[in-house]
Amino acid sequence: MSDTVMNPPAGSMSRGNRSDAIFIAGVIVVGAIAMAQPWLGVSSYFLTLIYYVAYYLALGQAWNLMSGLTGYVSFSHGALAGIGAYAVVLSLNGNLPMALALVVAAIATVAASLIIGATALRLRGTAFTFATLFFQELVLLLVRKLPFTGGSSGLILYQIIPVWIAYVMMVTVAVAATIAFALTRRSRLGIRMLAIKSDESAAAAIGIDSTRLKIILFCASAGIAGLVGAVHGIFVATLYPEVIFSVDLSIVALAVALIGGVGSAAGPIAGAIVYVGLREIVQVVAPGAHLVIIGLLLLGIILFLRDGIVPAVGRLVSRKGSRSSTSGRQS
Amino acid sequence: MTLTLALQLLVNGLVNGGLLGLVALGLALIFGVVRVVNFAHGEFITLGAYTTFLLVTQFALSPLIGIPVAFLVGGLFGWVVHAVIVSRMTGRPELDVLMMTFSLSIVGLGLFALIFGGDFRNYSEGPTGSIDIGGVVVGWRSLTALIACVVLGAGTLLVVQRARIGLGLRALAQNRDAAAACGINVPASERIAFSLAVGLAAAAGSLVSLIGTTTPTVGHYWVLDGFVVVVLGGMGSISGALLAAFAISLVNSFGSYLLDDAWARIITYLLLYAAILLRPHGLLGRESAS
Repeated sequence: MSDTVMNPPAGSMSRGNRSDAIFIAGVIVVGAIAMAQPWLGVSSYFLTLIYYVAYYLALGQAWNLMSGLTGYVSFSHGALAGIGAYAVVLSLNGNLPMALALVVAAIATVAASLIIGATALRLRGTAFTFATLFFQELVLLLVRKLPFTGGSSGLILYQIIPVWIAYVMMVTVAVAATIAFALTRRSRLGIRMLAIKSDESAAAAIGIDSTRLKIILFCASAGIAGLVGAVHGIFVATLYPEVIFSVDLSIVALAVALIGGVGSAAGPIAGAIVYVGLREIVQVVAPGAHLVIIGLLLLGIILFLRDGIVPAVGRLVSRKGSRSSTSGRQS
Repeated sequence: MTLTLALQLLVNGLVNGGLLGLVALGLALIFGVVRVVNFAHGEFITLGAYTTFLLVTQFALSPLIGIPVAFLVGGLFGWVVHAVIVSRMTGRPELDVLMMTFSLSIVGLGLFALIFGGDFRNYSEGPTGSIDIGGVVVGWRSLTALIACVVLGAGTLLVVQRARIGLGLRALAQNRDAAAACGINVPASERIAFSLAVGLAAAAGSLVSLIGTTTPTVGHYWVLDGFVVVVLGGMGSISGALLAAFAISLVNSFGSYLLDDAWARIITYLLLYAAILLRPHGLLGRESAS
């Protein structure tokens, strides 16, 4: 996507570009370090933790791309990822090469997402959210009923694929999804999306085709979710419909973004780390209570922090910074 | 399909439709007056179901007493939840409000699973047996549920359409600013609407426990159908919601017999997407009600 934006003040743009470049470089470095871990003798428990941070981060960024930029809340990103998982296992079992199987998974997910895109995204407001809620149920019902999905007994990947391949792929997807989000947010598309988020009627009045843009962004978001699900399908190798399409994963997708900060590129990173850390603690301290604790955490963040950890910390830092060096900033 | 069978399926659909109507009535009330999509509505249904279950099994009371008790417990809960949480969200973006009710729903789901476990619970107390009207067999339990739904639904509509409180609620649903300018106490009216709607959900839950089994997710499934109904009926339209409740229940009732439960639900959802495509503002919804 080209970076010719609608004439923002030159100073702010170059500062934005520079901080974006630093952020992207940082994400790549951290991603590379994470990717090297399997060869550095790290325990497999720690590797699994990193894997799950990458998994939830990638899914959270996919959610962020649609819901964070447009304000249209999706409750079905877990189900979209599940479609990717089923598509990749079916393709690999049909002896397609890995790269092709991943492409098939992304395409299948985008195609499935069009049932929401073509109907509910033509409307404004909450119709989309409902459509995603029903989609979650619809997909689970269909997977149990369709002839080629193995029904309730599930689906097994016949090939044995080393775990490190799934690990490396997931970290790659997480890094790519984060960079894609950061670039999209600054692009023409992203700025139009923010206009739609703040006032859709006004955006339409200045000639933004909001329906088309929302559908494009939702397809992109679904494609990433499908890819994330596909890699996870390779990682777990055995798919049970109740697990793969449980509402929990859709909750995680939005929780990760909400904890860290909706609509910010760094938000889901913080959110994924906090979420995985919290989950590990809860599993030891209060097993079975994880839904209650996640729910209370989300409620607390919505009520008191308002927009997640990263923006809250950002406000704190800038308040301190502006107090100590006001003159430096002015020049 | 014989006529008797068709009538039987019709009756089953009516009972289901009555319950769904109560759920949708509450959702429409909250959406219309408070402007909140209440994703936690299902957990209030579950609350009513467990309240009745505990009254029957722990205190040996009749489930018929459970219906008003659940209504009151639900109303009280609704009052508190609105006062402590929902009212704080006034003026916040729609996304935040959605997330708030969704988080409440997660907390509720988690709490019920934690306290009651995943067991299917039911009880045999209360009305038993059935009556035979020209070959159509109707269980007394189902009939009780249907009558209770009609009473609760009609009572609510009466309050909304005729009572002074209802006038305030309708005014708020039509135009918030104008209503506030005319001296209607907006926070109090919102609290009444929320509390009443949650009470209805809990009463519906009480009836659900009477005619079916109670699980931590029972309300979640009912409210999904409830959302189908409010989307189909047009958001915030009460008459549209009631019409859609019976339409959906009849499709489910006949679909379950002719195919099976799962296909009936799949067909319901597909019909819903088709309906969104063809009539974006619901069966009776207006263009402006977006």
